[in-house]
Amino acid sequence: MKVLICDSGILINLSLNGLLDILEKLKKDWNGKILITEQVKYETIDRPLNILRFKLGALRIESLLTKKIIELPSSLNISNEEIKTKTKELLEIANHSYKAKEGWVNIVSEGEVSCIAIGSILKEKGHEVIIATDERTIRLLFEDPKTLEKIMSKHLHQQVQFVSSYNDYSQKFNFIRTSEIVYVAYKKGLLGIENKQALDAALYATKFKGAAITFEEIEALKKI
Amino acid sequence: MEEKKHVGEVIQNAIKALQNFNSQNLKELSNQTIHSASLKQDSGSITLAVLIYTLSKIIERNDHLKVKNWNKLSKKIVQWLELSKDALEKNNLEKYEEHLKEARKTLSQISPNLKEYIKEVLRKAEINKASRIYEHGISMEKTAQLLGITQWEFADYLGTRRIEEGYSTFDIKKRARIALEFFS
Repeated sequence: MKVLICDSGILINLSLNGLLDILEKLKKDWNGKILITEQVKYETIDRPLNILRFKLGALRIESLLTKKIIELPSSLNISNEEIKTKTKELLEIANHSYKAKEGWVNIVSEGEVSCIAIGSILKEKGHEVIIATDERTIRLLFEDPKTLEKIMSKHLHQQVQFVSSYNDYSQKFNFIRTSEIVYVAYKKGLLGIENKQALDAALYATKFKGAAITFEEIEALKKI
Repeated sequence: MEEKKHVGEVIQNAIKALQNFNSQNLKELSNQTIHSASLKQDSGSITLAVLIYTLSKIIERNDHLKVKNWNKLSKKIVQWLELSKDALEKNNLEKYEEHLKEARKTLSQISPNLKEYIKEVLRKAEINKASRIYEHGISMEKTAQLLGITQWEFADYLGTRRIEEGYSTFDIKKRARIALEFFS
């Protein structure tokens, strides 16, 4: 089965841009599941429900969960315990990947890594997985860890070294961002805005709400 | 050891800058603590960065003139900063963090009419510092966690800043094709 795993940033981005309905429309004619982990649920629903400024957004995401547009891993018989164990293992590796003079640099946390953990479990079970994340760090860690090494060295004003213990995991996953989700929705005519500039507007909107995408990439996407 | 010496110097210079109403200097000192905050991710470095940045903003906007007992308040903050420096020199990290928190508390207990405003400046300082830590390569969620802010506020703020994102790690056309095929 095809499974799209969404991290917090994706749902937050879509919610802040009023584009959550895209997931509902994409899901309609698609034989796949959109999953979130308990950690992502906490950050996108449980926690913001207590913050007036983001309560409406949280309720909208909760409604997607109620309608089973997005689902929890239990819908594929994967227990939280299994995810927790895998998350712990991967978190340990990820946070021991970059070494500075003073020691290891903690670069990621549980929520982000829980998406990789569930992805890893699902891949082992034979599912086709894509991880949707707007996160620059996690994407670089998998796709181009040396670039992350350069960024850290530059900003920390010292040589940070990438220690390749993460190599087993690199190139294992495909990643997409909110921008590509919006792009797919546009191509399928699901954006719901009849205007030539709709794609341009929607792509930049995703950038301005946290998607790590360059201006050049947006321009390139528009031309495809 | 070197880092501890550096943080001690930052505190000392921050005290001077605060006494001289030098907002620019305070801002620069706040940025200097970000390297330490990104590396060590200890609450002390983070509190120090947020505190110094908040003070720089208050002075930059001349808002300290609106505070009736600013001199008294400023002296109290200086005392806490000195205590934190002493504790750091004695390697008592617990006390170091505790004193910095007290300095922050002193600032947030400002006169009632400015309390909400200071709270807002502190919150904005937290988000600003988060974006600086994020620039260092630390993930969004990790950074938000360190500063005690939500990813919602952070995503909203990051969009308004031109953070260096020029890392096309994967061909955009290929990524788009993968996404399209996946949803077919």
